[in-house]
Amino acid sequence: MSKIAIQNLNKLYNPNKPNAFYALKNINLSIEESEIVILKGVSGSGKSTLLSLLGGLSKPSSGEILVDAHNIAKLPDIMSSAFRHQKIGFIFQSFNLLEGLSVYQNILAPLALTKLGKEAMHEKVSLAMELANIEHKKDQKVGSLSGGERQRCAIARAVVMEPEIILADEPTANLDKENSLMFIKILKKFKALHKTVVIATHDTLFDELSCINRCVQMRDGELVL
Amino acid sequence: MSIFLSNEIIVFLLIEVILIVLMAISQVNIVSIVRHWDFDATTPLQYALEKKNYLINTILYFTVTCKVILFLFFIQSLNALSGIVPGAMCSAGVVGANHYGNALLLLKLLLIFGFGLWLIVNKLDLASILFPYLKRKYLLFTFLFVGVLGEFVLEILYFSNIPLTVPVFCCSVVFQAPKLPFGYTQTLLVLFFYTLFGVIVLFNTLKQTMASFTCNLLFLFIAYYAITYFFGLYVYEMPNHKCPYCMLQKEYYYIGYFIWGSLFLGIFFGIMPFLIERITQKSYVYLLKYSSFCLTITALICSFYVVRYYLMTGVFL
Repeated sequence: MSKIAIQNLNKLYNPNKPNAFYALKNINLSIEESEIVILKGVSGSGKSTLLSLLGGLSKPSSGEILVDAHNIAKLPDIMSSAFRHQKIGFIFQSFNLLEGLSVYQNILAPLALTKLGKEAMHEKVSLAMELANIEHKKDQKVGSLSGGERQRCAIARAVVMEPEIILADEPTANLDKENSLMFIKILKKFKALHKTVVIATHDTLFDELSCINRCVQMRDGELVL
Repeated sequence: MSIFLSNEIIVFLLIEVILIVLMAISQVNIVSIVRHWDFDATTPLQYALEKKNYLINTILYFTVTCKVILFLFFIQSLNALSGIVPGAMCSAGVVGANHYGNALLLLKLLLIFGFGLWLIVNKLDLASILFPYLKRKYLLFTFLFVGVLGEFVLEILYFSNIPLTVPVFCCSVVFQAPKLPFGYTQTLLVLFFYTLFGVIVLFNTLKQTMASFTCNLLFLFIAYYAITYFFGLYVYEMPNHKCPYCMLQKEYYYIGYFIWGSLFLGIFFGIMPFLIERITQKSYVYLLKYSSFCLTITALICSFYVVRYYLMTGVFL
């Protein structure tokens, strides 16, 4: 059984309006557990839309998204949130950190919704910071961090709940070469931890990486075989 | 002057119209949702219906909650209208100003119970992934919507028939012997009140939902008369002041809100488990505990006034 199975997926924006257009057209894709898959394509090819559907951030117009054989597209909003919280780690292109809080507090935020004790929370945050190599900045406000540090903070926040699936949208778009290579190192750690990872990118840095299982090309909302 | 120009009525009817428009829009959409709903389908139509369902649920949750709050405003407005209705000293005179008043009040109370039931079924429906009660929930709402339309017609008839030139009768001028149902005496009424209260608490403890449902409905009827024609006299400390509304006023420390509020809540919690079982096949017997608690508060407050009066004067009214 695939970890993620996408069947006949379509996403239509502005239905019944003159400017209606399909962001995704009849997508069929299976991703196995522990696989790292790259979604490649130019801007507007539908990568980010596909990621947001995979993460339960939006609903498709038709078709199925099965995660562990459950159709997440059918989940009511409240359960969709719970699913995201427990199973998905999302790394956004613009990081989406809470500016007024410290690195530690940002990473702690997802755990605040759990019933874990203080000790257990601290342990999880420490592990996540260690994985993302951001421990040394834990008390610093995220507003004063560099781009690379902000992204490592975002990565730590994404993994602190120990999600089975990690989705990353253009993770290296705002990074220099050095920080991009740092991300690749973290990606290898994900591989070692048997995480299922889907990355939407047009960065050629990912083209020849040994840790990548598959590269899927997208064009005009369709998968290119 | 027309009663429709009073501030309370303008505000009340305006909110009523807005809520009815929202409910009517929802009702139109409910028809299309119920007709085409197939949760297993992954077609564009089904996904569109699921989105629409969320929107309709949100609108209905808002409107139904507003209707419950509006009921309190309606009670408050009746009290305020006593200032412009000649002869009316409190809501009693305003409600009894024509023969639509009591029917309207009863319909409002039934609808409040219906809205409460809808909110619980809606909560159960949303808590499940498969929306198992969607069709029943919307069928229930359709009945409620018909009730709301009837209520609005009654409201217009009621307000337009309140005389502003002819004095109305009010509790302050009722000095006859009380007209009790089935020719009951006050003693028999009080005996029924306490016996039925005890029986309800017993059935609630034994979690007998159907028996509790029946007894609670009967208790609503008995308690209304017992509070108005017996306990009320001790609240007002007057042997002929038989009014269910005056106790809502400041002079009586708004105790009526506690008496009637706890009674209606107790009845609501008492009848709901049986109805929820019928609609969803789910057990909601824990509500019976709240029923016993609320009705005990009603009985305690009522009894307190009788005991206090006896201790102060050494006689019963």
